[in-house]
Amino acid sequence: MRNKIVFYLNGKRHSVGATEASMMLSDYLRYDQGLTGTKVVCAEGDCGACSVLRFFPHAKGVDWQNYIPVNSCITQVATLDGSSLLTVEALKDNDRLHEAQRAMVDCHGSQCGFCTPGFVVTLGGLVEEKISKNEKTITEQEAKNCLTGNLCRCTGYQGIIDAAVSVDLKIEKSLKSRYFDKDQEKDLVDTFNTPVEIKHDDFIFFAPKTIKEACTFLENNPDCRIIASSTDLGVVHNKRRLKLEKLLSLHLIPELYQIVGNDQVSLGARVTHTEFRHFIKDTMPEIAHYLDLFASPQIKNLATVVGNVATASPIGDTPPVFLALDAKLVLASSSGERVVNISDFFLDYRKTLRKPNEIIVRIEFDLPKKSTLKAIKNSNRKDLDISAVNMVMNIEMDSAKVVKEIRLAAGGIAAIPLRLKKTEDSLRGQKLDKKSIEAALSLVHSEFNPLSDLRASSAYRRIVVENSLSRFLHEEAAK
Amino acid sequence: MSKSSHDFAHTHVQGLSEFVDDRPIMRGELFMDVVYSTHAHAKIKVDASEALKDPEVVAVYTAKDVHHNLWGTIFKDQPVLADGVVQFAGEPIALVVAKDTISAQYAKQKVKITYEDLPSILSINEAKKHQSFIADKRFIERGDVKAAFKKAKHKLSGEIVIQGADHFYLESQVTVAYPQEDGQIEIHTSSQHPTETQHVVAHSLGLDAKDVVVQVKRMGGGFGGKESQAAPFAAMAALAAKNLNRPVRLCLTKDDDMVMTGKRNPFQNLYNVAFDDDGVIDGLEVELYSDGGAYADLSTSIMERAMLHSDNAYFIPNMKVSGQVCKTHHHPHTAFRGFGGPKGVATAEIIIEKIAHHLGLDPLIIRKRNIYRDENNRNTTHYGQVFKNNCLPRLFDKIEKDCDYQKRRQDIEAFNKSNDQFVKGLSITPVKFGISFTTRFLNQANALVIVHLDGSLQIATGATEMGQGVNARISAMVTSELGLERDQARVMPTRTDKNANTSPTAASSGTDLNGAAALLATRKIKYRLSEFASLLLELPSDRWPSKTAGLGTEAEITLKNKNLDSNDPNEGADWLSGKADYFDIKFVGGEVLKGSKKIKFADLVREAYLSRIALSDYAHYSIPGIEFNKLSGEGNAFLYFTQGVACSEVELNRDTGELKVRQVDILMDLGRPVNKDLDIGQVSGAFIQGMGWVTMENLVYNDQGYLLSHAPSTYKIPNIQDTPRVFNIELLENEENYANVRGTKAVGEPPLLLAISTWTAINNALSYISKDYPNIKIPATNEEVLKAMYPSKFAQWSK
Repeated sequence: MRNKIVFYLNGKRHSVGATEASMMLSDYLRYDQGLTGTKVVCAEGDCGACSVLRFFPHAKGVDWQNYIPVNSCITQVATLDGSSLLTVEALKDNDRLHEAQRAMVDCHGSQCGFCTPGFVVTLGGLVEEKISKNEKTITEQEAKNCLTGNLCRCTGYQGIIDAAVSVDLKIEKSLKSRYFDKDQEKDLVDTFNTPVEIKHDDFIFFAPKTIKEACTFLENNPDCRIIASSTDLGVVHNKRRLKLEKLLSLHLIPELYQIVGNDQVSLGARVTHTEFRHFIKDTMPEIAHYLDLFASPQIKNLATVVGNVATASPIGDTPPVFLALDAKLVLASSSGERVVNISDFFLDYRKTLRKPNEIIVRIEFDLPKKSTLKAIKNSNRKDLDISAVNMVMNIEMDSAKVVKEIRLAAGGIAAIPLRLKKTEDSLRGQKLDKKSIEAALSLVHSEFNPLSDLRASSAYRRIVVENSLSRFLHEEAAK
Repeated sequence: MSKSSHDFAHTHVQGLSEFVDDRPIMRGELFMDVVYSTHAHAKIKVDASEALKDPEVVAVYTAKDVHHNLWGTIFKDQPVLADGVVQFAGEPIALVVAKDTISAQYAKQKVKITYEDLPSILSINEAKKHQSFIADKRFIERGDVKAAFKKAKHKLSGEIVIQGADHFYLESQVTVAYPQEDGQIEIHTSSQHPTETQHVVAHSLGLDAKDVVVQVKRMGGGFGGKESQAAPFAAMAALAAKNLNRPVRLCLTKDDDMVMTGKRNPFQNLYNVAFDDDGVIDGLEVELYSDGGAYADLSTSIMERAMLHSDNAYFIPNMKVSGQVCKTHHHPHTAFRGFGGPKGVATAEIIIEKIAHHLGLDPLIIRKRNIYRDENNRNTTHYGQVFKNNCLPRLFDKIEKDCDYQKRRQDIEAFNKSNDQFVKGLSITPVKFGISFTTRFLNQANALVIVHLDGSLQIATGATEMGQGVNARISAMVTSELGLERDQARVMPTRTDKNANTSPTAASSGTDLNGAAALLATRKIKYRLSEFASLLLELPSDRWPSKTAGLGTEAEITLKNKNLDSNDPNEGADWLSGKADYFDIKFVGGEVLKGSKKIKFADLVREAYLSRIALSDYAHYSIPGIEFNKLSGEGNAFLYFTQGVACSEVELNRDTGELKVRQVDILMDLGRPVNKDLDIGQVSGAFIQGMGWVTMENLVYNDQGYLLSHAPSTYKIPNIQDTPRVFNIELLENEENYANVRGTKAVGEPPLLLAISTWTAINNALSYISKDYPNIKIPATNEEVLKAMYPSKFAQWSK
């Protein structure tokens, strides 16, 4: 058992107790370590100024294992146990600027300089990935996708895009070769093999090695929060509406990192959005594209898919995916496992079937083989914005255009992520034609009554749902 | 580092550039947070007793602790801390000082504010109804508008609704105040206006200006939001630092910053336009109304600039503009890049669009028929200033060709006929932005230039660096004048003990004013060094002061001429090189030459020092010829105009109203830039910022006027994916801006106004699918666009 959180920062070993473990990483860097290159702007993971690089050698299911960008402002130090971290201060190689730095200077990617370290670090992550894949160039689109999670108010981004595509990948050394070695790897493996228990007046953090131990802890501590990487709760914590002080972390349980299966997929509780996207990019490209619009790379590199479902936000972007796939959730407690259909899981606003003593250990779903998927994410800004409306639609028809199965899921239109079951019923077994589509469209509005809020009015949400459904059905009918 | 780089780009990328909150925490330093109102208008009672019980809390301050509570740039009407009454949601009420930031943030939740609500006004319409105004209505009038309407063939009228926008500087308002011996205080802050910050701090604390030093090293973005509004936060930190005799740091969270600080003024403008069959405007009446918020701040000046830009680029023979600032219970709105200009220009552009729609002509034709031209006396503005060096006709001709406008117009028409999911629009709009503060006394600057014995230089001016590159431009001007490399000079942090009584770095004028002052100071030194060199180089080098002065074997070289005294940075300068030479001495490549004789610059400096020649100098610069009469609305308001045109092509999703900006082409006249790369960075940055304002940045308030979209999760500025798919920026060659230092032109604000082309392009796209010309507000959010596409469905579901 350990009572310390262990990680490496810019190549140096850090072993910290409750005081530091309970801090957000950005605070630890800026105020404890004097590493003020990392900036904090929004403290909610929306601007990327706080980006640092993280290498986590224990993750499974990914074919790249590099330093990747994460937000330090909403990430509690405790959740980084077992990681190797790099800040902007680590990029320069002796007297030579890292290519991401050199290019940002030469291409005028930096004006006021406040967002710059975050951009440099994030771009550094892309350089790292490219070097590991032995790729020679960065395209404009790759640069934009990589930097979606970083806001700049000065440059209009053009200089930054110019910088990214001008990076000379041939001359850059990988950060992994500079900052990660066998000794560090061994140390982090040892760390990973030892459970954590930190008990302090203001901070309790428990990280067991098995699901069974986790369930027992939860049974005895029903008021504790299950935490993955605090990308959601960290925001609430930073806004001072909640203290992250009694926590159960599943990060030392290896099987939860698994995403496996060819037809039937099992997705563990520690699988991140980045890994999920990577896993389904060929089998469900529509969902991969949909995930590209959702959140920032920094968030997706940390945030778990199960966490996005568990938080049960009515505008969460993955619940409609799993509703449309008719996925199952596996919940574990000290009395064993039970399986819940996701369409039964969401009860009311932020209320779910999960009991306080249960842990969602995995999601199971079948990959769509014969059906067509379409996913729509609508928000005020196209990329990295909380949805006004999201929809995932899944339809299977026979050769005579008769609907064999259809699942329509939408977020942002009710207190929970919603299946539009009446509309589905009206189409199931029917030939998809003008008449059945019109009937469905006239029915759909009776199934939901959206709120007006700062993202969109009720009327807007209704019209977007109707238009999107209409286009999907007409496209399918015309195929 | 490339030669054109920002002077601190190389430290920015390493995370080594120090911003205020990066300063090391000093022993005994304390941390402040601000308690603010959540009500629009109410009597308040403050109870801090619970907060004071917190062992981490050191002090709580309220209005009674402020020596002079009222501040304001134009009218001193705003309290530093609300005293008995709050006038807007977000108004600072109390200051909590604690041992660390997080404790202060929790402790402020324990300060109890009791509100007794008073009637509030939260819109321009309500303000008009209740005659709730700030200052008098102002007018600018030319010709006979009534007669023009009487004889007009066509008349149109309408209203345009323009929302505000948040500056979203990445670095929030921040100050560290350090108490010093003998009652002095030193402020490190992020402000565009150190002088005003110094004055507000001194006034609020009851100190003399001599006891307050304000330093601004750099800002993490300003955009106008730190012109006036940085000062009260500095005063708050200073108040606690003085009372507790300990350093105090106040660093706002993004959420609190957005709730408390004012935005771009919302406007609601009415217009009547009279024009002929060709779409040539004969008469125009514009009534501008802005939401000033609860206090005056800079709103009257902003309104003035809006009035001066309601013609945009168009000659209007008979024109009447009125401007009225409304007093509401919103945060006091303030300067934001463009400073009123964009609201006048957006109004002018929607008028052009409507005329084109009315006549069934391409808006580009209407624009070209109405722009200012030297022919037929169509070159005088509605306030009577002759528009010199007019590049507009050239700009229009060039962009129309370069961006293939006519071909793309045809393609778009074909596309829009055949596609039922997307609709495209295309639009070119111009800008003619007046450069100078419209308040005459602000058009002055001072600079100190120091030459050290090794030949390296330090420059100090009142300009503040916020990423725009004013330092890089000033050091380029100074060093090139002396034939040196740019990195031989360093522009020092702006400090009020070096440069006092300075103007804000605003109105795009930072380089114009401070660069001119620095150049004048440099020329004084250069003049002396030139005369000295002309004498020195006649002597054999073994008789130079460095060989003889210590021994006292030679008479000292003395200068005979009086010091150079000039207020014109172009006086005596060669127009093409921009450099002035004296006594036939040339400063080239780090050397000083007299015919074939030469000496290294650093060696000359050393010899001059030994001859007791002054190596530092100070200069003051004031812009000549600014004579605008605010009461009559007439005169030369501006030194010159920065001009440009932009063409935007947009695509709208007919299912969702979503926007894609497919292509933007920008062509600007920036005179002869000191640093073209930095200028282009200003153009792209300003354009995207303007594009955010006209498309996606949506300020949403509750019924108390409390801002709900107060963080980037809810307030969306453009991100990297929003940069146009094709984004071309080109500069026009213009060697003829004789009015300004070295023929340069100011660049900071004008390109922001070109983003209005994106908004008119959205309108243009919508006009393909609806019969009436859309009256879409700014910002044209997805929802606004979809509403314009499906008005009846929205009406049905909004019941």
